[in-house]
Amino acid sequence: MDMSSRKILDRGFTSLGIFSVVLMAVTLAVLLTPIIIRGAGAFVFRETVENRRFTFDVFGRGDEAALEVEVADAAKARKPVYDMVAEFRAEVGQMSGRRKRDMQGQLRTVENLLRELLGPFPGEPRPVMPRSRYGKPRWDRAEVALGRLLTVEDYDYSDPTQLGKKVLTPRVEKFRGTKLEELFDYLPAHAEAMLRPEWTLNWRFLTDEPVDANIFGGIWPALLGTIYLTVGAMLFAVPMGVVTAIYLVEYAGSSRIVSLLRTFVSTLAGVPSIVFGLFGLAFFLNTLFDLHLFNQVLGISRSKTVLAGSLTLALLVLPTIIRAAEEAIRAVPHSYKEAALSLGATRWRTVVTVILPASLPGILTGIIISMGRAAGETAPIIFTAAVALGKVPSLTELHQQPTPALPWNIYNLCSENQAIEEIRHVQYGMVLVLVGLVLLLNVAAILLRARISRKLRG
Amino acid sequence: MDAFTLQRPMGSTRQDGPGRRDAPRAADAAIPGQGASAAHVTAEEFSIYYGQNQAVKNVCIAIPTGQVTAIIGPSGCGKSTFLRAINRMNDLIPGCRAEGLLTLDGQDVYAPRLDVVALRTRVGMVFQRPNPFPKSIFDNVAYGPRLQGIRDRARLQGIVEHSLTAAALWDEVKDRLGDNAVGLSGGQQQRLCLARALAVEPEVILMDEPCSALDPRSTARIEDLIEELRGDYTIVIVTHNMQQAARVSDMTAFFYEGALIEFGSTRDVFTNPSEKRTEDYITGRFG
Amino acid sequence: MEVQSTTGSRVRRRAETKLCLSRRQSLVRGILGRLGHGLLFVMASSSLLAVLFIFAFIIRDAVPFFRLRGFSEFFTSPHWHPASADSPEFGALAILFDHALVTLCAAMFTVPLGIVAAVCLSDVLPFAIRQIVKPIIEILAAIPSVAFGFFALVILTPLFQNHGGNVLAGALWAVGIPVMLIVTWVLSDILSSKFKVGARKAARWTVAAVLAGIQVALLVYLGGKLSSLVIVSGTNALNVSLVLGIMALPTVVSVSEDALTAVGRELREGSYALGATRAETLVKVVMPAAGSGLFAAAILGIMRAFGETMVVWMAAGNSARIPSPWYNILQPVRTLTATIAGEMGETDQTYGAAHYHSLFAMALCLLIVSFLCNFAAEWFVRRTHKRMGKLAK
Repeated sequence: MDMSSRKILDRGFTSLGIFSVVLMAVTLAVLLTPIIIRGAGAFVFRETVENRRFTFDVFGRGDEAALEVEVADAAKARKPVYDMVAEFRAEVGQMSGRRKRDMQGQLRTVENLLRELLGPFPGEPRPVMPRSRYGKPRWDRAEVALGRLLTVEDYDYSDPTQLGKKVLTPRVEKFRGTKLEELFDYLPAHAEAMLRPEWTLNWRFLTDEPVDANIFGGIWPALLGTIYLTVGAMLFAVPMGVVTAIYLVEYAGSSRIVSLLRTFVSTLAGVPSIVFGLFGLAFFLNTLFDLHLFNQVLGISRSKTVLAGSLTLALLVLPTIIRAAEEAIRAVPHSYKEAALSLGATRWRTVVTVILPASLPGILTGIIISMGRAAGETAPIIFTAAVALGKVPSLTELHQQPTPALPWNIYNLCSENQAIEEIRHVQYGMVLVLVGLVLLLNVAAILLRARISRKLRG
Repeated sequence: MDAFTLQRPMGSTRQDGPGRRDAPRAADAAIPGQGASAAHVTAEEFSIYYGQNQAVKNVCIAIPTGQVTAIIGPSGCGKSTFLRAINRMNDLIPGCRAEGLLTLDGQDVYAPRLDVVALRTRVGMVFQRPNPFPKSIFDNVAYGPRLQGIRDRARLQGIVEHSLTAAALWDEVKDRLGDNAVGLSGGQQQRLCLARALAVEPEVILMDEPCSALDPRSTARIEDLIEELRGDYTIVIVTHNMQQAARVSDMTAFFYEGALIEFGSTRDVFTNPSEKRTEDYITGRFG
Repeated sequence: MEVQSTTGSRVRRRAETKLCLSRRQSLVRGILGRLGHGLLFVMASSSLLAVLFIFAFIIRDAVPFFRLRGFSEFFTSPHWHPASADSPEFGALAILFDHALVTLCAAMFTVPLGIVAAVCLSDVLPFAIRQIVKPIIEILAAIPSVAFGFFALVILTPLFQNHGGNVLAGALWAVGIPVMLIVTWVLSDILSSKFKVGARKAARWTVAAVLAGIQVALLVYLGGKLSSLVIVSGTNALNVSLVLGIMALPTVVSVSEDALTAVGRELREGSYALGATRAETLVKVVMPAAGSGLFAAAILGIMRAFGETMVVWMAAGNSARIPSPWYNILQPVRTLTATIAGEMGETDQTYGAAHYHSLFAMALCLLIVSFLCNFAAEWFVRRTHKRMGKLAK
């Protein structure tokens, strides 16, 4: 090979490397962009009058007088719709035979779709479920519901070799020549008047209780539950981790013990998270809390509790904390230790008064990063702490009650909820909150570390 | 050191070692014209090993009370190792052990039941590089007294002022005692470290090349300080700088290859050395 | 000796205080010290105890399964019907196979990419850009797995299901074109060097054109094939492998970067001094020297994918069968982790129920594999450091 081709090979190699780095950055962007944009939709959206009614009825927030005026205006805009439906109902009553049955069916469909969009008809008994008590709370969902009203979605199976093909036809076709025909022109033209959407910044999404499978309200219990679990995990993991690090650096006499302990730390770091969950179930719930002492004397529940979840998460983040603390303690200049000892400090006093304060920023970085890890982990809490629905326990019953938690609720809302499509915005919002929480913690850690390295450089 | 390390004193092999005689005799022999009480720190057949390597070889010395003793010698001659043996800072180095006898006021420093913490409160130390804690100036000086259980704020303030004054730093820092000590200049930091050592009220102060990291002006100030502290403390200073040794010390010890070659009054050692190697070193023929 | 005679009296002696402790004091301190040390040691062994307890308890609950059902069914039968009332079947072969398939696919994607990126980070990119890229990697590592799972389920799955062929073809083009350009560039140069000096330039362009033509044709053919593919289920092995690969990338990158940095400047400078280009230095000197470290990076990255639960549970399709043909990664699969997560809630959680214990048997498989991998990785890391240490001396 001559010189130039070697050079070109070199450049080719370089560009391959840059390509892979760019690919990584692009991946991150592709991952975060939809989460940020659509997650923001949980906070900033066009709110319909139905949501304002709900907020006033359930949470008692809002201006009652203004709302009454607004509801009256909306009712005025809706009245022609109900009139048209009533007239058509009368018309159907006069039909006969097959056409009557057919039209009755069609009418029922339209009525149900209208109920979904606008809430129950005037004069109807108050439904039990909040979602049928109110119309669409968000304009984007209302537009989807309106679309379903205006067009019929069908599948064409005429070609047996292919999958069914989606066929869209305007619903108005089915009502040509009837009194309902006008409805399909009236609805899109007056939709805004009927629902009165307004842009709103709903930061209450963070602090409201969810209502009716998260269709209304916010994510407060899940958020609070995650905070409980994370802080609880830290309460157990930080002392154990920091003491282990102190022992490894300052006390462990032989290097064989150090390397043995380190091997176990890395083994623990490599255990799959779901195994931690099973261990939590088998050890904490089925064994430890089954003991008389814990169960009867201390009153710790044998089923899922915040306590069990925190303990399991603590084991999971222990290696991270140990490694970070060990590194931070090793980085403390030897001269500090010598100075303290020469002034007559005992070894333990030296650790407490000089070494720990000097390594605190480094230890904090590790703690913050592992907080992010604990907040985001799902598998360990599935069997030990998390429930999809329910209230967050009060501080005095953390050892007796399970809790909702962000990661588990994300899983639940996007794979086991009854109204998955209807609450996409809640799912995205939750993911945004969780990712935001974790990233915030990590950015804090990165900044803290930058400050430390600046300080070390002088 | 605390109780955790106490069960493993370095000199455990020493009990039956050579040269275990009555301590004061060496002191009498080494300093002509001084009383028996004059020797503050004495060593007799004292050796230090790093693993197999003997870093300090059978040293016999009697360091007089209230005087400044300089230890000179080329790099790696064991002078720092010997200095650090006096308050047992070598305990921190794995594989380091001592043989022979080293006493402070007649008490064996390497006795198995020795209270290292008590020893270090009586033998203070100033290190080669200024090593203030990353705390406030006040907290740095108050560190030692606090260890001894002094919590009273007024009393602490008194000690801090007294120590800083003794270290000639009070006027410079009295308005910013709460500032972080790391913000001081190198010379100020070193004087702060001295004040910190003084606050413990030691009898002996060990200085391990205290000026090697400082500029000439700061060095002069430290030397002035040593001059002022003379008499109130027994000072042992390791230095690379012969002029410094000549300027500040009363007694000079010359170490070479781990052995003590010559020990006598500074004037004698510098003007009329009895050993050829001392003369060669002082006149700059090697080292 | 005038100086000496005037001084030496003002020292405040504390000779009266004994430096030595009494026998009793010493004993008390010794015992207290030993107690303190012991207490510290016990707390410091928390990780050791945790590992031992995890093994003990997983084994304790896995053993009854093998006692009830034996070994052969679990490892050789692909039929997993644990909840069947009359004749439950506990054949985990399909699940084991699926798990391996998903992990391997993720590794095939993440290991080369991660190592190349690490090389780029440690040796190619300027310092300023490295400072930007490193936080990106850290952020990628910090994103919770459930967010990746959500991404796979809510964004990737519909994409695959509705436009599967086109997505694959697009990905082929996106990766293919840069690779093609590099290959053309390099190969044309190498081939044209066989020609005489005068004809070299013309030859180079001809060769480049021919090569590019061949490759474009290949891309078009493959792209066409791919875009006509219809992916029946968006939740499939490819989907999760991709996401798992992304999740494992930060691990691979950071561990291999450590290994590459450990090689040190001297070796690199030695190679440059002999007239090697950067690529030659990296490929022939640095990467072989960091070999075991890179191996460790690969293992640790694979472990990350291997132990992941949420992504595979949410987006792998949860179908416990071996794809047909076995390499068809466009079919839904199910892994050990997903099985445990999905079925534990439905089992009778009492001691002695076969289904409950079967899930612990799966966990035991996970645990043993990750334990062995971890050991291997640690061994490789140590070997790198030892070697580098020797070189440094």
